[in-house]
Amino acid sequence: MIAYKFLRRDGTSVFTGFRWPLSADAPGAWVDAPIDPCRSGIHACRPADLPYWVGHSLYEIELDGDIATEQTKVIAPRGRLLRRVGAWDDELRDAYTRMCADRAHELALGASPPLEQWDAVIEPSVPEGPALLGFVAARIAEERYGAAAYDAERARQSAWLVERLGL
Amino acid sequence: MAEHISCQEVIELVTDYLERALPSEEASLFEQHINFCDGCEWYLDQMRATVAAVGRIEEEEVPPETRDKLLTAFRHWKRT
Repeated sequence: MIAYKFLRRDGTSVFTGFRWPLSADAPGAWVDAPIDPCRSGIHACRPADLPYWVGHSLYEIELDGDIATEQTKVIAPRGRLLRRVGAWDDELRDAYTRMCADRAHELALGASPPLEQWDAVIEPSVPEGPALLGFVAARIAEERYGAAAYDAERARQSAWLVERLGL
Repeated sequence: MAEHISCQEVIELVTDYLERALPSEEASLFEQHINFCDGCEWYLDQMRATVAAVGRIEEEEVPPETRDKLLTAFRHWKRT
């Protein structure tokens, strides 16, 4: 299975600090880890999961073995990085952040009455980056329309990313 | 159905997270929050550092009066 994985700027995992083997012109070495969701195993994203885990660098990852499927991720006992997704660069990260901020404003100010307290947190959050702005937009959608709107907003964000990243 | 955890809940759950005692779905929500919240990520890093430092202290290394103060504090904490 081909999936995606966000890593820190230095190529380490966001939550474990694991340094992934990378190669400039070939797939990285296979990494094995028994599956225990959120504790062990190779955790990765399907395209629909990307907005929940947005980070600095995005890689395509090949997963092998019996793959466990969870609500916002997949977990495999074996995986290797295939390539860095170059389209996820500073420019696209900023564009995604701005898209989420604009959408959050639209949702907050389009309500009747306008959700001014929610709107006020949007611009100060922009420097914190894409993960926070994606969450803010989805939370404002949820505040306005209910829980299903949170998931719908995440799906909207995923579609935006899939299109721009060419996934 | 949307679910999230707040910064307050991160603080309440951080020990269970570090001890890998959270159920998978709750751990996933915890990590989603950490992914976008710099303040909670910093708090988690601080807790990891604290556990790494304090986890090396043996019971015999704690001075008796400090041990008594800690036991008193924890007894009081359990009653409230």
